[in-house]
Amino acid sequence: MAARAGPCCRAGLSGGALLSRALLSRALLSRALLSRASGTPAPPLWGRAAFSSAAAVSGREGPQAREGSVRRRGWTPQFARSAAPPRTERMAVDQDWSSVYPTAAAFKPASVPLPIRMGYPVKRGVPPPKEGNLELIKIPNFLHLTPPAIKKHCAALKDFCTEWPSALDSDEKCEQHFPIEIETVDYVSSGTSIRNPKARVVTLRVKLSNLNLDDHAKKKLIKLVGERYCQETDVLTITTDRCPLRRQNYDYGMHLLTVLYHESWKTEKWESEKSEEDMEEYIWENSRSQKNALDTLLRIKASENVSNVAEEELLASEVVKNYRNSVIALKNKGETESNMSQYKESVKKLLNIQA
Amino acid sequence: MCCALGSAFPVSYASRIMQKQYFLPSSNLMGARLAGSHGDTQESKTNPLVSLSDEPETLYKRLSILVKGHDKAVLDSYEYFAVLAAKELGISVEKVDKPPKTIERFTLLKSVHIYKKHRVQYEMRTHYMCLELKYLTSSTAAVYLEYVQRNLPEGVAMEVKKTKIEKIPEHIQKPVWDTLPQVEETEVKS
Repeated sequence: MAARAGPCCRAGLSGGALLSRALLSRALLSRALLSRASGTPAPPLWGRAAFSSAAAVSGREGPQAREGSVRRRGWTPQFARSAAPPRTERMAVDQDWSSVYPTAAAFKPASVPLPIRMGYPVKRGVPPPKEGNLELIKIPNFLHLTPPAIKKHCAALKDFCTEWPSALDSDEKCEQHFPIEIETVDYVSSGTSIRNPKARVVTLRVKLSNLNLDDHAKKKLIKLVGERYCQETDVLTITTDRCPLRRQNYDYGMHLLTVLYHESWKTEKWESEKSEEDMEEYIWENSRSQKNALDTLLRIKASENVSNVAEEELLASEVVKNYRNSVIALKNKGETESNMSQYKESVKKLLNIQA
Repeated sequence: MCCALGSAFPVSYASRIMQKQYFLPSSNLMGARLAGSHGDTQESKTNPLVSLSDEPETLYKRLSILVKGHDKAVLDSYEYFAVLAAKELGISVEKVDKPPKTIERFTLLKSVHIYKKHRVQYEMRTHYMCLELKYLTSSTAAVYLEYVQRNLPEGVAMEVKKTKIEKIPEHIQKPVWDTLPQVEETEVKS
């Protein structure tokens, strides 16, 4: 009997194994003998009968399985403490949720009264439920940032905010009163270090029309600055990152702006040697076009045998002025339909051609 | 406290400095608070944590927040949170932009030694969300950024581009050569 009961016990009396009461009681008796002999706590049995008789047999046997020797499927400990009902059952519908999740916390299925399912479903099944679901714990949740909670936080933070001055309600006004724009970038990321070397870069932007510059100073500044100036938007951009700290880069940027400004107002001796190739825009006075036009007009007058007309008079005449404007437009703005037709008209008038 | 608005510039704005008390995102912080009026002087008197200073506030024309993450759902939730927080604090949101995701892929050998024909491929997807805010003072920007950065989810990175506007400093108002006629000669020579 003892030998037969032994293997039965070890093999595992899983659910479905039906034993007669007599056999069961015998098995229990033999187990008791076994346990008394070996001195180790006998593995607990499956079935209601186990409870009634086990009390008689020996003291309480805790839900410990023998290490590795007994493997049971669907095994419940003999005196299992029934798990407490989850907190969700005691939650009211109108409770204060921000006290359940006041700060960022992992997802606790017993504290969240939502029937969430997450994960890849088994074949012809549904995604796994929330109990013991690792996917729900892994993903960051926003349970602590529900709209009422956000409103509460913002109401508490509102005291520390100041208002934007109402006079500066458009970009143009900001530009007019505060012409200089300074751009800095801050970086937030997770890692071993909170520092980011890109954070020391400072970009300074200013429109040259807001600076106190005269014509010569503006041209000189544009030449000094080179690529950092944009013609279309009239914006000078200075990017500094040569210093290790952001404040140092900002100071260096302001220093550069100051130096550029003052240097552009200075006129050096060698600036008088500026030639036609260095000019930024076309100037008609003292150019070949003016000489040629005057030459042509003088020759026309000479062939018509009119007394020598003064050059200033010729220059001041309407036709020459038209010609001058059209040539300047062509050179500075490029060739367009209107520019070319304007030039054609002015040349016809100048040479007195009736087409 | 903001001084008379609309008067001629320069105006000095008082900045509000948060005291050293650790900021807890719970509403139990403040003690007795009068019904939330947003008038300035009254609040500063009742709220013991707010202190005013006379230094002029720096003004930020634009605050551009770029948030990067691996999971689009997390970024969507964060966008909702950030936009709601901005609205509650009275900050105007210019636009919310969602640039397309970038996928970085690389192919590695599967085995430690030889087996060149068997490789394994990995990819990293980065989703972006760009939030642009307009017209903030430095106190408001500090408050908003601290709130939003403390609630940044794990695994999400942020870049904040601040555009500060400033007046032209005094030393650039006029060329210095006008004020120093005598010294000019020696300076040019040296």
